Amino acid sequence: MSLKNFSELFVDLDSSNSTNNKIEVLKNYFLSNKAIDNSWTISLLTGKSNKRFISGRYLKNLFSQIYEYPQWLIDTCYLKVGDSAEVITLLLKNKSTSRNKKLSNISLNELLSKIIPDLSKLNDEEKIFEIKNIWETLPEDNHLIFNKVLTGTFRVGVSIGLITKSISKLTSIDEEIISHRLMGNFEPSIDSYEFLINKNINPEELNSKPFPFLLANTFEDKIFKHSINDFQFEWKYDGIRIQLIKRSGNCSLWTRGQELVNESFPELVQRMSYIKDDFVLDGELLVWNYKEQIAFDFPFLQKRINRKSPPRSIQIKYPIIFIAYDLLEINGRDIRQIKLENRRIELEKYFSKWSNKTENNITDIFRICDLIYPNDWTDALTFKEKSRENNTEGLIIKNKNSPYTSGRKKGIWWKYKVDPMQLDAVLIYAKGGSGRRAGLYTDYSFALWKDQQLIKFASAYSGLTNTEIKELDKWIRKNTIEKFGPVRSLKPEMVFEISFEKIQISKRHKSGIAVRFPRITKWRKDKKIKDADSLENAYELMKKIS
Amino acid sequence: MKTKQEDLIRYKDGNLYCELADIWIDPRTPVKRALITHAHFDHFTFGCEEYFSTKETAILLKERVGENIKIKTFDYGDGFKINGINISFHPSGHILGSSQIRFIFAEEKWLISGDFKLQEDETCKQYEIVKTDYLISECTFGLPIFKWDETTKIANDISRWITNSPEKTSLLFCYSLGKAQRLLNEISQTNFKGDIYSHGSIYKMNNCYKKLGINIKDTIKIENKKKIDELKGSLILLPPSLSKESYLKNFKNIQTAFASGWMSIRALRKRSGYDKGFAISDHADWDGILEVVKKSEAKNIFFHHGDSEALSKYLVEKESINVLFFQ
Repeated sequence: MSLKNFSELFVDLDSSNSTNNKIEVLKNYFLSNKAIDNSWTISLLTGKSNKRFISGRYLKNLFSQIYEYPQWLIDTCYLKVGDSAEVITLLLKNKSTSRNKKLSNISLNELLSKIIPDLSKLNDEEKIFEIKNIWETLPEDNHLIFNKVLTGTFRVGVSIGLITKSISKLTSIDEEIISHRLMGNFEPSIDSYEFLINKNINPEELNSKPFPFLLANTFEDKIFKHSINDFQFEWKYDGIRIQLIKRSGNCSLWTRGQELVNESFPELVQRMSYIKDDFVLDGELLVWNYKEQIAFDFPFLQKRINRKSPPRSIQIKYPIIFIAYDLLEINGRDIRQIKLENRRIELEKYFSKWSNKTENNITDIFRICDLIYPNDWTDALTFKEKSRENNTEGLIIKNKNSPYTSGRKKGIWWKYKVDPMQLDAVLIYAKGGSGRRAGLYTDYSFALWKDQQLIKFASAYSGLTNTEIKELDKWIRKNTIEKFGPVRSLKPEMVFEISFEKIQISKRHKSGIAVRFPRITKWRKDKKIKDADSLENAYELMKKIS
Repeated sequence: MKTKQEDLIRYKDGNLYCELADIWIDPRTPVKRALITHAHFDHFTFGCEEYFSTKETAILLKERVGENIKIKTFDYGDGFKINGINISFHPSGHILGSSQIRFIFAEEKWLISGDFKLQEDETCKQYEIVKTDYLISECTFGLPIFKWDETTKIANDISRWITNSPEKTSLLFCYSLGKAQRLLNEISQTNFKGDIYSHGSIYKMNNCYKKLGINIKDTIKIENKKKIDELKGSLILLPPSLSKESYLKNFKNIQTAFASGWMSIRALRKRSGYDKGFAISDHADWDGILEVVKKSEAKNIFFHHGDSEALSKYLVEKESINVLFFQ
């Protein structure tokens, strides 16, 4: 039964734009399904288990072979649908005629812990036979889930925050605790779910997990009303946010996306292990230009992120540094409730002890962030404008009296970017250019998120180099969903940084906003579409400027 | 075999035209003589000297554009003769009054499918198989990813969608002529027994259908200043043109959905801006088009309305059917 329930859950979540509604749907689902299936559900919804068993291309080939279906026809359909798993699901509606639905009652757990992993053990011929068998004996409503899990493309508009809220509502356990329990790895099992909903809270239970991250809000004008002395000022680095945890002598690096990245940065793990104390630090990981003492641009960091066990040569070519800006735990003592001002004192104290007392020198790979001391707000703005010179994105402004809480709570941290007139947007349409640009797709439309949808907010023509235009043109041709005359709608996949001069309310546009002189300033290949900005961000930007 | 110039029906200025009879089919610019397959606005234009259609189509057209058009009407199966060409109307199952139009000239048969569907629909006459030599078919949904579910399944989905959110007002967007009446008829046979409201444009068409003897559930005409509590748990049918913020702000606590064949694709559903999509169409799906192509026994096929590339290639390769293209 539970797979059917899960398919229904997917449909419900997919067709709801209301957060409260989603939380309610999730809560009821968790209430009426088994622990093991709930555990898999959480794992799937949070993207913690999206292993790809076969590629989308292979899935299409399989279908073509099994049903002697022309490959070109599948490819044509793909252009319309933009997702291999869904194309095959739709095509299967014509095929699965078997009355024997022996898989009608399987559970999500059986599918994910047995049926799908078992497929990997088969040779190609057996695999074809088995997948055909599954398709024909699994009820039609479950095909999409099966195909999506198989191709590792299961995604639905549910954030970890929503899961946290629904579990919290279900159990009446504080959100902070649930959020902490959900950090890091989540092995789908009865135990992991029961741990999640366990009302007895054991302080040591979370030893291997990072704390929920405190996130910065976009700067708001009203802060100017406060005394400058209420705040701590730091440079905003464009690196990877990391919690560096050393507990019981073991060191681990956790990203904000809750990935353990020890293997990508072994030199940091090794060097930090020399420190005698246990601790949890919050900070930024960067590729560092030692000569000029500034960070290299983000693309340098990408050379390191995706590479596990980098050889010595790579470690030397792209030297990393961890710049800590907060101390959250020291020798087993959680100090997140202490105000920032005092946490900073502790951080400085321990850093100085570690730099002097650790046998091996660690300060070339580990530092604490410098603070900036503007005299007044005008001075702060001047600092902000200078941030380009040291390759930072602007300022981070932190309330000195604040504790370290989870999530994007108001009034604690703010980011104040040097060029506020920028948004990261998703490319959704392209149009053929004319004149010199004829034959190439050079007119682009970009969208921002609103709830789970992408809403068009600007069109831009300039800003890419000729090489980039050619590269993008190629991509556009391969990733067209639909053609309307000269316009193509595209698979939402590419993120671009769009800069503009003015932003205002506009009734004429679906997005409700209009921007002046929009232009592309960066092709953010490092960003996924979920990282793009939302319309809400645009409204905030507008509020701030007016 | 004839050359293309001699084809009885061809494309001229973007419209289907029979030169021998000097008559146009669903022209979009004013002409002397116009055959109208059905009363949707994209198949009709003002200002033609003379129109020809089924009785039902004529009544619907007049309701939409006024009495001041000169129109000759026919029953299904009937027709008229002009310059030696026999022209007749046959049910196409798209909406009330919709028709296929057959031309017979010197033993040669040409059939224009009009917009059609094969699925059962109690609000209009079922599609009738008509044999022909040449078939000009629509192919709005000419890809195998389009495979319609049983209408009753969709109707039950809609019913559940409304009853699962009793605190909300459910706004279902659909074309005001044809789709709205079909949905009303289907939804009235489900478990949903609450109030159904309809927008003026739909209400008008409902009355038309009733006058023409189609049994349609009564709806309440929606007025702008309705109290929110009155609408809670009820269904409102609206034309897609009203799916915009300025109109939607008249309501509170709503959920929206769009009923259209395109809604079978997730990406289009997500992009449409509606909360939910119901894949129900008054056009034929892939299998429907293939069935008509085969049963019509046509030796030569033309496609229009939609992207016919894949369908044409498939027919040529898999079914060895001759697909022709308009010049």
